[in-house]
Amino acid sequence: TEWNASVWGKRRAFTEHIEKLAELVAEKSGGEFTINVSYGGLSKNTENLDGISIGAFEMAQFCAGYHADKNRAITVLELPFLGVNTLAEEVAVSNAVYAHPAVAEEMAQWNAKMLMTSPMPQYNLVGTGEPRDALAKFDGMRVRATGGIGKAFSAVGGVPTSVTSSEAYQAMQSGVVDTVAFAQHAHLSFGTINEADWWTANLNPGTVNCPVVVNIDAYEALSDEERKILDESVPEAIDYYLENYGKLLEQWESVLAEKGVQKVMIADGELAAFKEKAGAPLHKAWIEEMSAQGLPAQELYDLLNTTLDNSRK
Amino acid sequence: MDSIEIGLWVTGGMLVMVLLGMRVAFAAALTGLVGLVWIFWAKKGYAPDQFDWALTVAVKTAGQVPHGKVASQALSLIPTFILIGYLAYYAGLTRALFEAAKRWIAWVPGGLAVSTVFATAGFAAVSGASVATAAVFARVAIPEMLKIGYDKRFAAGVVAAGGTLASLIPPSAILVIYAIIVEQDVGKLLLAGFIPGAFSAVIYGLLIIGLALTIKGFGPPVRGFTWKQRFASLPPALPIVAVVVIIIFFVYNPFGGDAWGTPTEGGAIGAFIVFVMAVARGMRWAEFKDAIVETARLSAMIFTIIWGVLIYVRFLGFADLPHAFANWITSLHYSPMLILVCILLAYAVLGMFMDAIGMLLLTLPVVYPAVMALNGGEMVSAADSTFGMSGPMCAIWFGILVVKMAEFCLITPPIGLNCFVVAGVRDDLSVQDVFRGVTPFFIADAVTIALLVAFPSIVLWLPSLA
Amino acid sequence: MAGSAAVLTDDSLLSRLDRRLVKLEHFMAVIAGLAVFGLMVLAVISVSGRNLFNEPLPGYVDWIQQFMPLIAFMGISFVQRDGGHIRMDIVVSHLKGRPLWVFEFLTTFLIFALMVLLVWGTWAHFDRSFDFSKPMWSRDSTIDIGLPIWPAKLLAPVAFSVLCLRTFLQLVGYARAIVSGTDRPVAVPMIQSAAEQAAAEADHIEGRD
Ligand code: NA
Ligand code: NA
Repeated sequence: TEWNASVWGKRRAFTEHIEKLAELVAEKSGGEFTINVSYGGLSKNTENLDGISIGAFEMAQFCAGYHADKNRAITVLELPFLGVNTLAEEVAVSNAVYAHPAVAEEMAQWNAKMLMTSPMPQYNLVGTGEPRDALAKFDGMRVRATGGIGKAFSAVGGVPTSVTSSEAYQAMQSGVVDTVAFAQHAHLSFGTINEADWWTANLNPGTVNCPVVVNIDAYEALSDEERKILDESVPEAIDYYLENYGKLLEQWESVLAEKGVQKVMIADGELAAFKEKAGAPLHKAWIEEMSAQGLPAQELYDLLNTTLDNSRK
Repeated sequence: MDSIEIGLWVTGGMLVMVLLGMRVAFAAALTGLVGLVWIFWAKKGYAPDQFDWALTVAVKTAGQVPHGKVASQALSLIPTFILIGYLAYYAGLTRALFEAAKRWIAWVPGGLAVSTVFATAGFAAVSGASVATAAVFARVAIPEMLKIGYDKRFAAGVVAAGGTLASLIPPSAILVIYAIIVEQDVGKLLLAGFIPGAFSAVIYGLLIIGLALTIKGFGPPVRGFTWKQRFASLPPALPIVAVVVIIIFFVYNPFGGDAWGTPTEGGAIGAFIVFVMAVARGMRWAEFKDAIVETARLSAMIFTIIWGVLIYVRFLGFADLPHAFANWITSLHYSPMLILVCILLAYAVLGMFMDAIGMLLLTLPVVYPAVMALNGGEMVSAADSTFGMSGPMCAIWFGILVVKMAEFCLITPPIGLNCFVVAGVRDDLSVQDVFRGVTPFFIADAVTIALLVAFPSIVLWLPSLA
Repeated sequence: MAGSAAVLTDDSLLSRLDRRLVKLEHFMAVIAGLAVFGLMVLAVISVSGRNLFNEPLPGYVDWIQQFMPLIAFMGISFVQRDGGHIRMDIVVSHLKGRPLWVFEFLTTFLIFALMVLLVWGTWAHFDRSFDFSKPMWSRDSTIDIGLPIWPAKLLAPVAFSVLCLRTFLQLVGYARAIVSGTDRPVAVPMIQSAAEQAAAEADHIEGRD
């Protein structure tokens, strides 16, 4: 069996679990089951779900915030200020939400089945000039942020401006955006850290959720043994991802020092005020909007929170 | 048959169709679609009952490409650049530029011809298309040169060659297309075109001065303009300066501050200035409608090639051909510089028969990764690279070289479009006359290309600041 | 390289249908042209809003993405009507009479077949983004301000259908020319030498300097 996996950009920490999975699967099947990872050759990143739906390739990665209407249910994971603190917690809540029937049903409309998540840390800001360390300074700020994080900054007067991740550096340099919200690996691989004067260490507004899915027909066409190999390799691939990302986070402090980027700590009062405006009200709005569309929104939201509590016990 | 072989067969089939005269956009899309069916069917072992599945998946995969690829912010530069050029006619910029160039520089040997070159270079700053530039100047500049005794073939050659400057000096539709195909920074590429474009103009100018000094009876210098007359010629040409400054400042602020925005915005603001100027000069609704319909026509033509070729490129992605070609190129035991020169010569040959945009779109998806691999990879640092420049810089350098080659082909027989256009405007000139008149400029272009290859910093200095 | 060429007319049904269709095609091209102009206006609003009033235009990129398909697709059939899509005519320009019409019939038939398939493919692309049961019928949205994408995706199959009609008319025109062997068929673009074409292009520019 030969599978194609469609991802985008270049090989980076964000795609290491897919590379690891391909390696494990090939190894365990003695080379009988291979997965070719293609960086952008098979599809545009916002159309990976379409490609899965068509059956053009068997595996793909995408981010919920790229096209909320394609994947309404999992946008719960992109709500701002959920309080998810570690990558392990991110994995736990993603797995729980992915396992919910409403998510499976929505993905099935794309002929897709959730395989695993691509856990990412909080999307903190980098920016140039004076640090934006108070809520008032977010007013009129042009920020590259998608999904729920974008909504959070809107709630305090910011203007989300989406440029693709590969254009973020130039957008920042040219003043199209003032700040960019990314995970650490993306600040490194897209060069935004090179342009930055400061980084918000504790703003922690939320993160984006980027699942890896497989085409249902292709998954069911696997032999029982191949399917077992694939399923059993997922936790290993995720462990490898976490370990690899952990190393990257360890280096982060030294990167900041080396590039002369100021670490901005935002005062607790300011954080609380931000959370008050962009946390609960946006959560409530999401639940109302999604319920009106017939999704079990409250249930998904509660599931997320109980999973988070349980994972801390 | 493995996917690489399928890739080669389909690519060969496409080239045959294009050479026979199938319209490029549709030949590329059709072969891409056929290739996708082939790849998907091969995956199912050519089982007869799986053909329907393969066809459906291929058609739906191809069906994603037109909308998916054209709905892009970067591509929006192309129609904007085309619109600037059409509006510029109504804004009276052609004659204003020629007049200014004449009053300021026609005193040198071969003065009027040199003025023509610099006026075309100036017009290039508002025009994204070479052919249009040649057509307009054939009307304005040739009669004046003939009046003072220039050889009519040479006068036509100057205009045909000067017209080619429009695609290097921004705005340039073809540089945007290159940037999109190779996924590099559009702004830096546009910026990179300035100096090689101006450099080409200077080489043309020096060539003309040299000819004027050695050939007896060459057109005389034009003297006698007062400083007052000179300064009076500047205001009508000012919008050009405004457009140039805006495009530069929107990509890179030379004073060290933030750039003002994106190239997309810069192009649009430039178009807006020229639009206001055209309205001030009395452009009517009928003329405006004409300008936008012509813009729509040219845009539709270019975008059809773009998505058509991108369907073929999507197929290439599934066949993994570019990767295989790059591996092959890097495994050759020749000097990388020799391989690069061979690639450029291949473009010169191909360009004799093909349209520039079609040629670049068809070849770059395969050739570009190979050139990058030759240099040591997309992310290579200057120190580790073959050509002594980082991956992104190599992408810019190669882009300018390829575009200059494509422009060179506009004046070479048998299909030198600019020469056809000039001959078309002037009833008293045959195409052969123009080709003969433009011959000295081959030498100038060969020198320019050799210098750009030997001294990449001519290309890379400006973008490396941004 | 081929640019546009003349299309002959007479009072046959085919020619009348040709002229009826070109009105629609011209109208669509005007819309595409206005969209280019709209793009320019949008940029002026965005830049001045951002730099003068510190009020950037929300969803500027989303709007550009919605405009682009108008520009890219709406003129496609207008260009095909007079043979404006680029091709290499080194071989074709040596053909005359029936062999030429047979060649044109075959290549036009390939375009027709391709476009029928692409109407299917682009319709499927639209259909995946469209859902009657969802708010704004949307199952795909833009990234910043969540505009539904289906209207923009619908433009491709619509414009391609018009191109199918156009190529069908041209097939009929070439078939008639093959039967009659005429040198001057109606409703199809007449082939021009590169020089004639350059002259036509230059004429167009006349009076604009
Ligand atoms: Na230009
Ligand atoms: Na040529």
